[in-house]
Amino acid sequence: MNVDGVIDIYRRVLESEDITGDSDFFELGGDSLLATRVLSGIARVSGVELSFDDFLLAPTPDALAKLVSSDERHLNTADGAR
Amino acid sequence: MTPTTVGAPDLLAAVRTHTGTAILHNGAPIGYRELTARASAVAAALGPHPGAVGVYTSRTPETVIALLGVLTAGGAYVPVDPAYPEERQEAMLAAAGTGTVLVTAPGQAPPPGAVVVDVRGLGETDTETEPSPVDGTDAAYILFTSGSTGAPKPVVTPRRAISTVTAALRDLFGVTPADRVLQFASLSWDTCFEEILPALTSGATLVVDDEAHTGSFPRFLRMTAERGVTVLDLPTAYWHELVRHLAEDGGTLPESLRLLIIGGEAAAPARLAEWHGLGAGGVRLLNTYGCTETTLITHAVELGETVEGRVPIGRALPHVLERVTPEGELLIGGPALSLGYLGLPEATAARFGGDGFFRTGDRVERLPDGRLLHLGRLDGEVKIRGVRVDPAEVESLIGAHPDVAAVAVTGMAAAGRTVLTAYVVPAAHADPGALRASVLARLRATAPAHLLPGRLRVVPELAHTASGKVDRAGTRRRYEQGGEA
Repeated sequence: MNVDGVIDIYRRVLESEDITGDSDFFELGGDSLLATRVLSGIARVSGVELSFDDFLLAPTPDALAKLVSSDERHLNTADGAR
Repeated sequence: MTPTTVGAPDLLAAVRTHTGTAILHNGAPIGYRELTARASAVAAALGPHPGAVGVYTSRTPETVIALLGVLTAGGAYVPVDPAYPEERQEAMLAAAGTGTVLVTAPGQAPPPGAVVVDVRGLGETDTETEPSPVDGTDAAYILFTSGSTGAPKPVVTPRRAISTVTAALRDLFGVTPADRVLQFASLSWDTCFEEILPALTSGATLVVDDEAHTGSFPRFLRMTAERGVTVLDLPTAYWHELVRHLAEDGGTLPESLRLLIIGGEAAAPARLAEWHGLGAGGVRLLNTYGCTETTLITHAVELGETVEGRVPIGRALPHVLERVTPEGELLIGGPALSLGYLGLPEATAARFGGDGFFRTGDRVERLPDGRLLHLGRLDGEVKIRGVRVDPAEVESLIGAHPDVAAVAVTGMAAAGRTVLTAYVVPAAHADPGALRASVLARLRATAPAHLLPGRLRVVPELAHTASGKVDRAGTRRRYEQGGEA
């Protein structure tokens, strides 16, 4: 999952076009309820099930996309090992 | 009055009669025998009638053990969320008049001077500590609601209220020993008692699980299925998001689920229609209403079908006396009423009146079939993620900042939920560009998270009414497009 994919999810959830790679979800009015929509969106697209605590530490599309791709690699390795 | 064993001891006696698994903590069972023995050890450490006991909460069995231990000793449970700013914690403990403070998890640091007992170090007692005799009007717990002064407002709930309501909720929910009830609500808010007490007095299993709180619905649903959860009690705002997830992302409810209880704010008719479109017909959906001052739930209704217009809050439960004033305000009386606001006689007189009825501040309408519709508030109070917030309290906290000349706080509808919004006018000497960050930083240091505005706008002036009072709704209309709450 790339940064643009995460930006799309932010735009839909925050109902704002004004989102870039370094936009902080929580500074833009995102709260724990809206965060569940971002986490659901990421899980649907990538299969990576991040937690709210992960999100707090990576609140921008740039950081979140990086976290998702490292988890995706992890998932692939785990699958390959099976 | 002669001491009796009315109140919590009947609850504790009920807990003690059961066997089997009381709590399933991240999959590990804790039996009723162990639960009782550990609660007895807490009661023995506190001694009889310890008064108000502060409990630093955590999502652990230790917090449930602390609650039962305090009740067994004849004390009053005063939960403190360790995530709150230190200043707020101290104000809460002082307002409740706590002596001893119990800690339930690593890293919890009560203010200096408190007598601290760690529940984890107490183990079990071989002999059960007999519950201390208490009167029905003795305090069972003290919780805090939002007050207009900026200081926490303690509500004292008596023993007879939790006994009465626990019995009523066991009937309403139909709890049996076969049930597995998820413990979802924060242990610092009263909703947790409607999960814990009906379950543990019925011999059911309380499911305490870290996977319930990740914010990820796929993980939440997988956990509830793995643990065989039968009863969920969710804030309405969270249920709205769950329904959205089920409808849009294709998640599925656990087959074990038989009852879903919602409450805290108005249920959205659109989400209810989606819910019934999911084929979740086998799950009983119960909408509930209640205030901290009237103890947990006073009104409930089965949401068995789609509703046009507002979703009703239901009928009064059998223990509840109700009146609707000509202005449409809902008044509530009966044995579940709290004793008032501790140390605040004027605030108590204003809401409890002296006629045995509590003024809820909620405007309602009675349908021909007797169910009530909630129409809104008679004051400015708003619900943020199910928690009552008095805008005046947030205004008082923000207004204390030296660079703020004036402030108005109100709720605003955005993206399907209510957002607390603050409009701040800078003082003449202040740098308007730095004000937003400075006000938020100060709030984070003094106020709990639910009082932090989700939106904060620095504006040149507020709107005023003809009589010169700050007009919150008018201010919102001036600066927002279509931002009605």
